[in-house]
Amino acid sequence: MAEVKVKKETNLSDPAEIENRIKELCHQFPHGITDQVIQNDMPHLEPQHRAMAINKLLSLGQLDLLRNSSGLLYRLKDTQSASKMKGSDNQEKLVYQIIEDAGNKGIWSRDIRFKSNLPLTEINKILKNLESKKLIKAVKSVAPDRSVTGGAWYSDQDFESEFVEVLNQQCFKFLQSKAEAARDSKQSPMVQRNSSFATSHEVWKYICELGISKVDLSMDDIETILNTLIYDGKVEMTVIAAKEGTVGSVDGQMKLYRGVNPVLQPTGLVRTPCGLCPVTQHAKHTYEAELQVSAGPAVSSSPQNPHLESLNEKKGLKVCPVVCPQVFDDCHEGGEISPSNCVYMMEWLDF
Amino acid sequence: MHRGTVRAKPGERSQRAEVCMTAQEVRLCGLLLREHFGEVVEKVGTHLLKSGAQNLRTIIHETGISLDLIRRSLCVLVQHGICMFSSGRKGPGSPMEYQTSCDRILRILRFPRYIYTAKTLYGDTGELIIEELLQRGEMTMSSTVKTVADRLTQNMEEGRSMDYSEVSSAFSKLVETHFLQRCPPMAGAGTTKSATPATPGTPAGTPAAPVSTAPPTPESFPDCYKVPHVTLIGRGKRQLSSEDGEDQRNAKKARMDSETHGDEGIYWQVNFERFHLHFRDQAIISAVANKLDQTSSEIVRTMLRMSEVTTSPIATCTKPLSANEIFRSLPTSYNIARPILDQYLTLLVDDPMEFVGKAGESGGGMYVVNLHRALANLARATLESVVQERFGSRSARIFRLLLRKRHLEQKQVEDFAMIPAKEAKDMLYTLLSQNLVQLQEIPKTPDYAPSRTFYLYTVNQLPTARMLLQNCYKTVANLVERRLFESRESKRLLEKSQRIEAILASLQASGAEPEQLTEVEEMITAPEKQQLEALRLHINKLDSAENQVDETIFLLESYINSTATSAS
Repeated sequence: MAEVKVKKETNLSDPAEIENRIKELCHQFPHGITDQVIQNDMPHLEPQHRAMAINKLLSLGQLDLLRNSSGLLYRLKDTQSASKMKGSDNQEKLVYQIIEDAGNKGIWSRDIRFKSNLPLTEINKILKNLESKKLIKAVKSVAPDRSVTGGAWYSDQDFESEFVEVLNQQCFKFLQSKAEAARDSKQSPMVQRNSSFATSHEVWKYICELGISKVDLSMDDIETILNTLIYDGKVEMTVIAAKEGTVGSVDGQMKLYRGVNPVLQPTGLVRTPCGLCPVTQHAKHTYEAELQVSAGPAVSSSPQNPHLESLNEKKGLKVCPVVCPQVFDDCHEGGEISPSNCVYMMEWLDF
Repeated sequence: MHRGTVRAKPGERSQRAEVCMTAQEVRLCGLLLREHFGEVVEKVGTHLLKSGAQNLRTIIHETGISLDLIRRSLCVLVQHGICMFSSGRKGPGSPMEYQTSCDRILRILRFPRYIYTAKTLYGDTGELIIEELLQRGEMTMSSTVKTVADRLTQNMEEGRSMDYSEVSSAFSKLVETHFLQRCPPMAGAGTTKSATPATPGTPAGTPAAPVSTAPPTPESFPDCYKVPHVTLIGRGKRQLSSEDGEDQRNAKKARMDSETHGDEGIYWQVNFERFHLHFRDQAIISAVANKLDQTSSEIVRTMLRMSEVTTSPIATCTKPLSANEIFRSLPTSYNIARPILDQYLTLLVDDPMEFVGKAGESGGGMYVVNLHRALANLARATLESVVQERFGSRSARIFRLLLRKRHLEQKQVEDFAMIPAKEAKDMLYTLLSQNLVQLQEIPKTPDYAPSRTFYLYTVNQLPTARMLLQNCYKTVANLVERRLFESRESKRLLEKSQRIEAILASLQASGAEPEQLTEVEEMITAPEKQQLEALRLHINKLDSAENQVDETIFLLESYINSTATSAS
């Protein structure tokens, strides 16, 4: 004979029993239960009593009220978090809920006000309370989301160009040494070329191991750095198909980078003072610059083009170490500035 | 952008070759003419440049120079292939019109490079042959051989001399490789010098002169590269005292030789185009060597060598060569295995610079050298180099970024280049003001309101290259002027030092005492010696700078010309 299920009839007149029953149902269905489920279980329970029981549980903080597309859901609240909020009133619970929902990003107090429809004074009181209970913290920046702060390259809204430069140089050194090692290995050209490549994943691992970054860098970040190296003309990239699951592959592809040599030495034009003397079309600039020139060759310390100094270090290049003002266009024979009296030409010749 | 840009009169352009020039080009041409031929020729030449084709009477009228001087100047210019003449616009029978063009005069700048190339390829003999021909414009083979033999003998030890046959064979080699070519015979206007018809296809006996279209190229004549049969037996003669010296400019003293050698009337000139092709090949080979390695550049050199005669000067790429052929033609010192060659070729094809392309699979793979693409890449590297040296590596990064991505907004430039916004803005505006970068507006609404318009930065390679070319011309003109200025300033001192050297030479020849020699030497004081030394250094520096800028000019010109032919 089949076993007959005996169900203990819930005493529908005892509210505590109703509440317990509801809690048991919640245990059974951890995702949450709807009114319908409760009704099915206790068909004789009147809606009034049901509502009362549910409200009691909610106020005790033992149930969570959620809404989904089909209606209301009741879920058993996590006992740990239930204990946290013991002693807090509803408003505080609400505010805490809102802050929790904001997740990693955090939330402005103004936004809390909008979401909870509470007056500002109330919000501030509640926030102070919660803070004293050590449930929330007012922060300037604690692991904020990337999109808010600009990512790894910004700290306090300042673009860290030095950091970027350092990373730029380190990545380039890594790729350069890999290319050199490949060249020195004296193997067949195809093998040499392939071994001079590094995947973005390899570069990322190298940079992480170097430990020069206080912030965690993702592979995407490293790829943006490698792209700047491409725009510097120091590195080239190819994309190859990779099996899904290969380390470092994204969408079945891998990006490979390698250091390259420049195709041309600095061109002849820029080894002359005239070649570096920029052309200008604004008469105003030339007038000011003319005054500068006639005042004497005191322009050697001009900070405008510091890179000119580095040119002197280039072997065999005797480049004018002095900045040329914007006078090229105005320079013509018989004029105030001409090849015959150009101060920069003179300094370059005597260098 | 160029002050006082001068353009040819509108009517001329349709009929003649490109007469387009700018103020910078005219200035540079004037300086070059002045330095090589003197001020009168400079005046006539620059006048013709600015005014287009003119007949003799108009030239006299507009320049105010006497008929005799103008005649002689035109003679000099024609002799050097700088000036061309043809029948007037009104058809045959109207007075002759003369015209010059900038590019022929600008070649003078490149003479040292031509001479040096001849030296590397054919030794001292080749060097002197080319030098003589460049100085004289055109000469017969026999007179060239004799002059060069004499010059070589001058520098040899006592008792040794140069045989004519050696020089002749060097000359023939230069003709075989097309570095020298026959001057096109003057057709119609004068006496016919050879049996070759004026234009191929003209039936013999037609007396009419050709209608004035572009003058026939030397290569339209079938005998262009045919060495005539010359009887040249003898050796170079040593001259005891050089009366002629190196100061000959207009003096084209014809050798009053009574000997004839069988090649009268056949004049030779330097084939500049062939040298230019050689320079272009050299540039490509060294670019490959820089980017990849020595072996790859040797392979490309072999491919270019094999294609020398089969590729037309304006071709986009060489004719396809099979890997088998390349393997066979590699120099024997490069002992690489066939599969390794295939690897090198594959790597060349895969390289982003696209020096070499694959054209097919037969014969082990058919490969071509992409000439136009290589020139474009070299021009691009030149532009990037200029931006880098003038404005710094971060501006160069922005420049390269825009070359790659074509159109970018300001924000995108900052993000891709990873440069802080303020500095990126600064750099972009500087580049914009220098016209190296252009701004393109894309309106969202028809009223072009600034807040509703996209502003995109872009770089156009071809116009930027043209602009830089003008910069180069101006730079070279500045360097030449400075050089002339420095010489002028020290003219007195230079003359004094020359006089003293002449005195010393004659004293030595007549066997003077050492005391006398030192006495003469001391006529130049120590500070003067220092000044002379400084002058020498300055002039050398300016000279080499001119050559370096000419390299840039060559790359940019080749690139611009290549786009013109591929666009047509």
